[in-house]
Amino acid sequence: MAQITMARALNTALRDAMEADDRVVLLGEDVGTLGGVFRITDGLLKDFGEQRVMDTPLAESAIMGVSIGLALRGYRPVCEMQFDGFSYPALDQIISHLAKYRNRSAGSQPMPVVCRIPYGGAIGAVEHHSESPETIYCHTAGLKVVTPSSAADAYSLLRQSIASDDPVIFLEPKRRYWAKQEVELPVETEPIGTARVLREGSDLTLVAYGPMVKVALDAAEAAQEEGVGSLEVIDLRSLVPLDEETLVASAARTGRMVVVHEAPQFLGMGAEVAARVTEAAFFHLEAPVLRCTGLDIPYPPARLEEAHLPGVDRVLWTVQRSLDF
Amino acid sequence: MDQTDEQVRLLGEDGTLLQHDTYAADLSDAELCDLYRQLVVVRRIDVEGNNLQRQGQLGIWAPCLGQEAAQVGSARALRPDDFVFPSYREHGVMYVRVGMEVLSVLGLFRGATLSGWDPQRLKLGLYSIPIGTQALHAVGYAVGAKWDGAEVCAVAYFGDGATSEGDVSEAFNFAAVHSAPVVFFCQNNQWAISVPLAKQMAGPVYKRAFGFGFPGVQVDGNDVLAVYAVTKAAADRARDGGGPTLIEAITYRLGAHTTTDDPTRYRTADELDIWKAREPIGRYKAFLERAGLWTEELEADVQAEADRVAAEVRSTVESMPDPPLSDLVDHVYADPPATLRAQWRQLEEFEAQFQVEA
Amino acid sequence: MAEREFKLPDLGEGLTEGEVVRWLVAEGDAIVLNQPIVEVETAKAVVEIPAPYAGTVRKLHAAEGDTVDVGAPLISVDTGGGSASDGSAAEAAEPDPDAQLQATLVGPGERQQTRRRRIAGHARSANGPVQTAAPAPPAQRPKATPPVRRYARDRGVDLAALVGTGRDGRITREDVDGALDAAQPAAAAPARAPRERTEERIPVRGTRRQIAAAMTASAFSIPHVTEFLTVDATRLMELRERLRALPAADGLKLTPLAVVAKALCVAVRSYPLMNSSWDEEAGEIVVKGWVNLGIATDTPSGLLVPNIKDADTLGILDLAGELARLTDLARERKAAPADLTGGTITITNVGGFGVETGTPIINRPECAIVATGLIAPRPWVVDGQLAVRRLMTTSVSFDHRIVDGAYAARFLAHLRDLLEDPALLSAF
Repeated sequence: MAQITMARALNTALRDAMEADDRVVLLGEDVGTLGGVFRITDGLLKDFGEQRVMDTPLAESAIMGVSIGLALRGYRPVCEMQFDGFSYPALDQIISHLAKYRNRSAGSQPMPVVCRIPYGGAIGAVEHHSESPETIYCHTAGLKVVTPSSAADAYSLLRQSIASDDPVIFLEPKRRYWAKQEVELPVETEPIGTARVLREGSDLTLVAYGPMVKVALDAAEAAQEEGVGSLEVIDLRSLVPLDEETLVASAARTGRMVVVHEAPQFLGMGAEVAARVTEAAFFHLEAPVLRCTGLDIPYPPARLEEAHLPGVDRVLWTVQRSLDF
Repeated sequence: MDQTDEQVRLLGEDGTLLQHDTYAADLSDAELCDLYRQLVVVRRIDVEGNNLQRQGQLGIWAPCLGQEAAQVGSARALRPDDFVFPSYREHGVMYVRVGMEVLSVLGLFRGATLSGWDPQRLKLGLYSIPIGTQALHAVGYAVGAKWDGAEVCAVAYFGDGATSEGDVSEAFNFAAVHSAPVVFFCQNNQWAISVPLAKQMAGPVYKRAFGFGFPGVQVDGNDVLAVYAVTKAAADRARDGGGPTLIEAITYRLGAHTTTDDPTRYRTADELDIWKAREPIGRYKAFLERAGLWTEELEADVQAEADRVAAEVRSTVESMPDPPLSDLVDHVYADPPATLRAQWRQLEEFEAQFQVEA
Repeated sequence: MAEREFKLPDLGEGLTEGEVVRWLVAEGDAIVLNQPIVEVETAKAVVEIPAPYAGTVRKLHAAEGDTVDVGAPLISVDTGGGSASDGSAAEAAEPDPDAQLQATLVGPGERQQTRRRRIAGHARSANGPVQTAAPAPPAQRPKATPPVRRYARDRGVDLAALVGTGRDGRITREDVDGALDAAQPAAAAPARAPRERTEERIPVRGTRRQIAAAMTASAFSIPHVTEFLTVDATRLMELRERLRALPAADGLKLTPLAVVAKALCVAVRSYPLMNSSWDEEAGEIVVKGWVNLGIATDTPSGLLVPNIKDADTLGILDLAGELARLTDLARERKAAPADLTGGTITITNVGGFGVETGTPIINRPECAIVATGLIAPRPWVVDGQLAVRRLMTTSVSFDHRIVDGAYAARFLAHLRDLLEDPALLSAF
């Protein structure tokens, strides 16, 4: 077994998917010769050629619109939006067409397109490079939204997303690209739509996804060491479909829940989890479901981002509020 | 600005056949008569659709009145394996390509379906109401077809207003860079709802292609033979690996933008009269008369066919059942999330409580 | 002669009305399909409407200058035979023309919601006695977390009656336990050898839950009093044997309960208040003019009380049949909601389980419930001598708001009289 970074896991997943099915093609800005600004598509142009690894013109709407056209021609495009902050020009194509085509064709025309987007902050970047737009995609019926937190899940979830006949917005936590995990590839982890309990606990459940999973795990570790409590940690892995069952079962066991995400609090994933868990596990809850999130602001400059993003301390502070209820 | 000297014409306003250096419509007598039939039937479909809306049977109708030659002529030039990406007004294109399957659009305008047809079976993208977005789909399709080595072209239909949208420019650029086998067919009907050409653009549509590095041609959109010839040339060129072409067909939207629109608020009766005189079907009929191809019998047959089709349009609409509630959820995903399935069960439970009052 | 009425459609995106500018046809004119018939001005434009069918114009429903609502009649056309038609195939196949041309249902504008009527009783779960009415909420809700609330509710403890000892005055689980313990103070247990304690937790669901709720509501809202009377059932049993021997009773399960049921219905004629209901809101006692006799039935899922409708119109044999039918249905969980609601008075045969008597809880909102005990040979005094007779203890629990002890006692005594001498059944 080797120590593999998430970036390498994603790269391998793309390679393996392209080898398994020659209808899988990649498109995006700088994905070919450069191998992608994060090197996720490194080496693929050399092995698969220009047709299957396309350096597109600088046009996000075109990247998505052309992907849709390719899907109509029978291809399985995996397109890339270079950064979360630059994915917005493609929103019309995503919301008006990608999400709706199957429904509008009475189920006859699938859109097996994967749109990979590096997202999230904590990399000290300049503006527009640290967004968390997941709610927009989650709120658009017809899309699936998947986000790994580890190398193994990055590999398996990407392979599953490419194999899915539903369009998938694949959100890659860029701050975790270089994080390593001991894993042997290829690997198959749980299906899309399944959340995983990463750590069992009895006093409170932390729910996180993507970049915040590590923060949640660190917070649980600290909580144990400091005698704050025994925290259970759940990695959502996919936001749509959401694994309500696992969340509710955990809440029923621990009686308390805190959702952690970088995205702003207002109408973020935490709101959805809180509403569902409260409805389904009402009589088991000792405290309302709390949320530890980014502020309701545009992403701040690098020197302020630490205060904006949930860290171990702020997570534990929220945990304490729940425990004190 | 709109009519340039380079505009391709094969028919005079009075139906006289003209010569052109580059383009000719090589069609047999039977094909020429069939073209007339298609023009007349398309107009009848459109008129019937409009009437049905006024009678409360359709929620809305987007008329293609006046644009029959542009649609019929171009669609006629395509091969069965070519793939069409319409906007939302291409009922004429649909009729030529898929015959009575054009009735599929009625569900959309009645509010019973959302397009609803199988794009692969009809070789036709779904109607695209977000303006110009379909141009990119056509490019993607064309690029894929080229990769497959298929002798096929994609055709994107859009209007003058659509050329202001970013997606259309992105499509031009992408197609040019990849030499995609796509024909961009712009029906310049001179109005984008109430916005006239002069407020929409500062230069003619067809010249933009040159800026992106591929050819553009302007054609008299009310001259069905010219439209046919120009489109055929562009489609052949695309299939032969020559890359994209932009065709600007100058025509006129004789009807309203849709049945919710009132054109009397923004254009004059005089202008309308000018273009009514230039409408394509009378002009083509004049050509047929001059060519000795028009007969009373042909006219009777064509009108009877139009009547029959109109009646089928009407009966399809009037007998269209309301969609089942399950249409709400059945086709959203290949593999629906558990949360959606639970929502549906809840809705079923809710609905079971009621009986409809007479 | 087929006259069809065409209503003004929504001519564009949510229009609500239009003004008739000019009629292009007159009453009596022959018209063809799609012929322009009228110009209507809307908020957006002047629109020409084409005829939706061919025929003869019978009536123009509005004059020029009138404003017509979308959905209101515009023109009526006689489409029956002989009038100019374009031969449209649609003419022939019209299942329900006016419903189909109901213009307000088509179109991008705001639709009229079809009114819908909830199927009675469907929305509620069918088992068990009548649901409780929620008491008026207190001025401020008692504070307690969701788990404590449910804990209290499941044990029938009213949170509003408790004082919370938790933080911010919230009620804790211990507070709820305290309220329960107050009913039965714990006795000091002598020191004993330690033992392993296991408990089984049974979730309270379904019928159990409903019974709990119903009993609590009844017990805590009706002032119950129970009176007892021992009955010499010897003649009752003799009658039962004679009836069983009848050909008409072939295949019928004829129990003493059937005879008691008959006697009860008869007794109620003389003591109608026992067959009534307390209407708090109206401040009235509602005496029912019919008897729907509830039969408390033990089923695998718990106590169910189906009732025999109009029991007072049935003879003993029919009562026996109904008894068997309804209790079987209840045991098989096939009793319909209608069978389980609408009772006016109830019998519970606790004797079937081998006990002599009981203090039953009234089946709210009835007034009374009669319990019959075990019928067994016992020493009795007959004509001043000791004798062995078959005795049955009866009891009646009644709503002391409706009747007093004397009335109920007289009722019970009368019932006894009927049972001890069944020939009297036809006298009342």
